Amino acid sequence: MRKAKKPVFFVVFLLILAFAATVFFGVSTYYGDMKTVYVKGVDNIRFGIDIKGGVDVTFTPPEDIDATNAQLDAAKEVIVQRMINLGITDYESYIDYNNDRIIVRFPWKEGEANFDPEAAVKELGETAELTFREGYEVDELGKYTGVTAENVILVGSDVQEAYAAYTKDDSGAMEWLVSLNLTDEGAKKFAEATGRLYQTRGVISIWMDDTCFSYPTVQSAITDGRATISGNFDAESAKQLADKINSGALPFKLVTASFSTISPSLGTGALEAMVIAGIIAFIFIAVFMIAVYRLPGAVAVVALFGQVAGTLAFISGYFGFMNGSILTIPGIAGIILAVGMGVDANIITSERIREELANGKTLDGSIESGFKRAFSAILDGNVTMILVAIILMGAFGTPDSIFSKLLHFVFFMFGPSTAGTIYSFGFTLLTGVVLNLFFGVFCSRLMLASLSKFKALRNPKLYGGGVRHE
Amino acid sequence: MNKKFNFDFVGHKKTFLIISAVMVAISILSTFVFGANLDIQFKGGTILTYVYDGEIDQAQFEKDASEALGGLGVTSTVGEDFSTGRNNIQLSLISNSGLTSDKQFALSDAIEAKYAENAIELIESSDVSPSSGKEFFLKCTVAVLLSFVVLVIYIAIRFKNIGGWLAGVCAIAALLHDCIIVYGTFIICGMSINANFMAVVLTILGYSINNTIVIYDRIRENEILYRKTKTRDEIVNLSINQSLTRSINTSITTIVAMLAVTIVAAVYGVTSIISFSLPMMVGMIAGTYSSVCFTCPLRLALEGLRKDGKGKKKSK
Repeated sequence: MRKAKKPVFFVVFLLILAFAATVFFGVSTYYGDMKTVYVKGVDNIRFGIDIKGGVDVTFTPPEDIDATNAQLDAAKEVIVQRMINLGITDYESYIDYNNDRIIVRFPWKEGEANFDPEAAVKELGETAELTFREGYEVDELGKYTGVTAENVILVGSDVQEAYAAYTKDDSGAMEWLVSLNLTDEGAKKFAEATGRLYQTRGVISIWMDDTCFSYPTVQSAITDGRATISGNFDAESAKQLADKINSGALPFKLVTASFSTISPSLGTGALEAMVIAGIIAFIFIAVFMIAVYRLPGAVAVVALFGQVAGTLAFISGYFGFMNGSILTIPGIAGIILAVGMGVDANIITSERIREELANGKTLDGSIESGFKRAFSAILDGNVTMILVAIILMGAFGTPDSIFSKLLHFVFFMFGPSTAGTIYSFGFTLLTGVVLNLFFGVFCSRLMLASLSKFKALRNPKLYGGGVRHE
Repeated sequence: MNKKFNFDFVGHKKTFLIISAVMVAISILSTFVFGANLDIQFKGGTILTYVYDGEIDQAQFEKDASEALGGLGVTSTVGEDFSTGRNNIQLSLISNSGLTSDKQFALSDAIEAKYAENAIELIESSDVSPSSGKEFFLKCTVAVLLSFVVLVIYIAIRFKNIGGWLAGVCAIAALLHDCIIVYGTFIICGMSINANFMAVVLTILGYSINNTIVIYDRIRENEILYRKTKTRDEIVNLSINQSLTRSINTSITTIVAMLAVTIVAAVYGVTSIISFSLPMMVGMIAGTYSSVCFTCPLRLALEGLRKDGKGKKKSK
């Protein structure tokens, strides 16, 4: 560390400041009224429903029904479709196949005071109404009208099953399509309609509730009750359409296994209070550190500032290659613990430097061995924290996250839990602690070593030395 | 701030162990005195919170609610919402099957119609079926237990030279001690055991293990430096005293930071945060206390027992 030159401090300091500034404000340009976000700022942080208010609901089929995985997929597809129709785009949803549950979370809709979550949830769980209709005539709102409104060819119960399939065309290229098996009754109705429509190359539109999601052209009369829909499908979109069609054929209505709502008015107060409390706490820590540890204390404050900014950056999705995470109240607890760890790392180091000075070492020697000796304690403390964070992320994460897969052997008997709030604790703790090792140890060390090269800053008193023990 | 401490922690180990035992006993006994208020997040049931203006007859309200639900038993508590200044009433139901959303909507419709002049509205609802509540509770427990196991193994490996396994077990004993005291705080303050409780326990778990590890680290270092010249009791005492300024300063900063959170939350009337920051503060105090005064004396006491059992074999 003797290598650290004078300018290093300023480089590190300015880098941290610049980084923090972009984290807090983001980077975006305005072209007229169009805002283009290049780097997400704190405004882009998505808050959990315990802060922002929202709905957390678990759907399940009625007790006496054991749903198949395909049925659950289909049911989820209906819910997603309906949320989009309600203008809810910021949702999370996943399926717990073990326990036949569909877990859905969505925040309060922005700027909508009269949003009725009970009605929304009720609507989400209803059986979907699937219809195949003649033609594709819609009004300006996209709702069917004219002949499309009048002539319903098939309803959900006419479809026995839909699935994604593929064929090879003449050139040998693979083509995805959706295959339909109709019931006898459905086959009859479909034969009549396709027999009539294919001559005019008419279309049949497929609707879920009031939303049309496909309107294929009739290619031929289909009399055997086995239809295929082709188009520009890939594996995923074919399965999605099949799921949607199946959902209309679901033999059950979903009921709620758990359901909670939090009003946004409860949430905003909490958020404002947390921000103010956070600023007060940070100022206190800064004053305390500088008063007690002088120069190392001041360096610690800069490093802590970097750590907090870094944690917020990971949450907001600042780093393009990583998705952000939703911040909940336990998530804020994680940030607090990580900041506590950061303060602690700096205190341990500063104490060690002071001890070394008291033992009569030179300033450079004290700084170097202070950091060196403090490191093992800081490392062990932080590694244990990382282990705990990983366990939590594994236990409470969504089923497809890496930590869940890693710890599946422990938690296999539990389904994905509805308590996503605790996952956020693990996430903020993990990022905070890793950043602490970077800022609190590495950056602090660079900054302090470089500052100690200035003549004016070589007085041991600035490092807590020179005070004799009585 | 820069004093040199020289307190005989090891010599007072009996006192400390008794203080800890008493604190733990009080926390556990308080369950029987005040009753544990397990949140419906864990035990299943429904809580609906409505806000309203003016006056509402609580008994009549319960009767109306029960009627709307087809005779299901409900209990209610009334309070005031600090942030909005409106009154609120909290209905709770414990049902074996969870309340279906249909029933809940019927209830809300009935209540909103009946108390229209009070401008009543639902602000918070929470409904958990007992089976998913139990599962969540079990999952939390398994996660905490798994953390304990992993921590013991980690400490055993990293602190081999100071009796790894025993050190790990004692660190966990201290964690349990802290968690039980946090639990006691929740019970005595009448706060319900919910996801916030889990967040606090997890935070204290991390906080306390870190405190313990800092001291263990010092012992590990001193063990190498003074193995020949000092007894184990002396080394432990020296290590605790050397790291005491750090323990105190870290505790001051974190506890005052939590105090700031608590005060601001109280001013804003955000009870959900107070129910989290207050026990966190108590837990931090317990965590600092246990790692300074409880863990190492416990280890030495256990080691003493073991030595007695084995007829005083090796002594360093």
